[in-house]
Amino acid sequence: MTTEPVVKKRTMIKALNEALDIGMEIFPEMFLIGEDIGEMGGDFGVTRKLWSKYGGERVRDTPLSEAAIIGACVGSAMVGMRPVAEIMFADFLGECYDQIVNNAAKLHYMFDGQFKASLVIRTACGGGFGGGPHHSQSVEGWFLNVPGLVIVAPSNPADAKGLLLASIESDDPVLFLEHKALYRSKGEVPEGHYTTPLGSAAVAREGTDVTVVAAMRMVPMALDAAEMMAAEGVSVEVIDLRTIRPYDADTIVGSVRRTGRAVVANEAPALGGLGSELSARISQDCFHDLCGPVVRVDGLDTPIPFSDDLEKIVLPDTADVVSAIRTAMAQPSRGKQ
Amino acid sequence: MLSSLYHDMWLIRAFEQGLESEFEKGNVPGMLHTGLGQEATQAALAAHLEATDTYFPDHRCHGINALAQQRHRGDGRRIMAELFGRSTGVCGGKGGSLHSADPLAGNFGDNAIEGSYMATVLGVALAAKMRGEAKVACAVIGDGTVGRGEFHESLNMSAIWELPTLYACVNNGYAIHTPVGKGHASADIIDLARGYGFACEQVDGNDVVASHDAVGRAFEHIRGGRGPFFLEFKTWRWQGVFSGEFRPAEEVKYWREQHDPILMAADRLREMGWTEERLDEVENESRRTIAAWIEFAKQSPAPDPAKATSDVYVGFTVEAP
Repeated sequence: MTTEPVVKKRTMIKALNEALDIGMEIFPEMFLIGEDIGEMGGDFGVTRKLWSKYGGERVRDTPLSEAAIIGACVGSAMVGMRPVAEIMFADFLGECYDQIVNNAAKLHYMFDGQFKASLVIRTACGGGFGGGPHHSQSVEGWFLNVPGLVIVAPSNPADAKGLLLASIESDDPVLFLEHKALYRSKGEVPEGHYTTPLGSAAVAREGTDVTVVAAMRMVPMALDAAEMMAAEGVSVEVIDLRTIRPYDADTIVGSVRRTGRAVVANEAPALGGLGSELSARISQDCFHDLCGPVVRVDGLDTPIPFSDDLEKIVLPDTADVVSAIRTAMAQPSRGKQ
Repeated sequence: MLSSLYHDMWLIRAFEQGLESEFEKGNVPGMLHTGLGQEATQAALAAHLEATDTYFPDHRCHGINALAQQRHRGDGRRIMAELFGRSTGVCGGKGGSLHSADPLAGNFGDNAIEGSYMATVLGVALAAKMRGEAKVACAVIGDGTVGRGEFHESLNMSAIWELPTLYACVNNGYAIHTPVGKGHASADIIDLARGYGFACEQVDGNDVVASHDAVGRAFEHIRGGRGPFFLEFKTWRWQGVFSGEFRPAEEVKYWREQHDPILMAADRLREMGWTEERLDEVENESRRTIAAWIEFAKQSPAPDPAKATSDVYVGFTVEAP
């Protein structure tokens, strides 16, 4: 006898908060650490009410010392703790880049498996809210070239909760990217404990004519674009990466081999980023199945400007995804479908 | 007590000189930073560190690593083998001189980004405090590390959280080529540490008895739950820079001839009635031991090629070529 899980409408903030709460209940060795995450509940309220429930020892406020925050996570993980750090804005990761890249990510390998960096670094990333050059960046490209690091990037509240619980349970260091523009988006979220597997993409919408690969905020844009194209009789498959490193190449390659057309949608600048990697992989593994080149949607090759009028020029939007799909659909058919 | 410290200092010196000789012959890969001249500081720290404590060694700490490995794990040879990149090394040859670790010996590994573990040590200390354990979390750092932001972040956080952290600052006078007084606001690092408001002490790092006693006071303070401790050892490294000796001749002469920690300890032992034969035997025994360790390292097999791609992740595998 199976019963349907109770599902409620939640914001991503609330879903993340539930995941942290459940994690703290399950793992006595788990603790939260970051700037103003305690009584204040974090800049975006993700740790709200956890300080009053678990106390200041396990929900630990810190000074503005990002390197020390991540160092404390690595050191405590070395003796079996399960820390979850909040770095207020992803743009601040430069302050603890060494701790993540040279310490957390290499720990298990360079000491021959004697330590595990069982830690999570949650951080708010992405543009679209007028944060300006130092509060709006998409940082995944900064970390893609770092073996040993897991990068998780949810696009909806249900995945955010399941992926965060999976990240907490993981014995690898996880950089958990929370797109600010998605924080207040709502979705159905199952109650209680569940995990969404790391390293596994989701088919967010099935389709047969063209595959759009996206992550985070580009996923709802891709879904909107798919809906618009459906009205024109184009069937769009949308793949939500969910984990950016290591990413689920099988799901992407399998889809593109079926559809024969690929669009890669990415908020960051084009050079040396996620879009570059995905295009290269699709071109290499699906070359003989493709009707034409992979079509890319990227942010412009600029910092993120403050003014809303300028920011919307720099960041990709739904219209850009639609345009890319049209470009892909204009490629001559190779007789597929 | 002085007798065992004297043995330990000779083991360190023999280790480093044996290693240096093998390095010059091209038998040791990579780079080499020795702890020659700093034996008293290292022996003093190693004498107090239990296997259940934690220390983060710096790049000149082969000596502490070897003593801890020998004392707590019964096989110091595995530190030597790691420096030769062999499968029998403590990290199977993956870490080398700059990343040798064995948590069961209390050795949590060097990090070749100097001062990086000033942040890491906070986590170990924090975990001990949260669990109510009377453990010491020690970071062995050089004077150059004081320039890193993490030095200050770490001292500040240890202070506000009253963590069981021991900062063992080995002030050997130079950060590679830069004199300590030129690189920092004070040539006495203790002046910079005092502002954080916890217990600080400075000691002659070449006086092994004074150093041993100072470390003892620091451990007692920390184990007693009285918060962090900053201990500065004033010492001097024998090794110049890769291009050779750059320091004034009088300075070299002073530290190597008049203030050598081993010669200073030998003088005390003579006063206690030790004969020259007895003193020589400690040196000879150490050199024999190290020769055997080097032979073990050289005879050990290279790492299994599968190790190149193992343990990148716990939860994912990386494909071998």
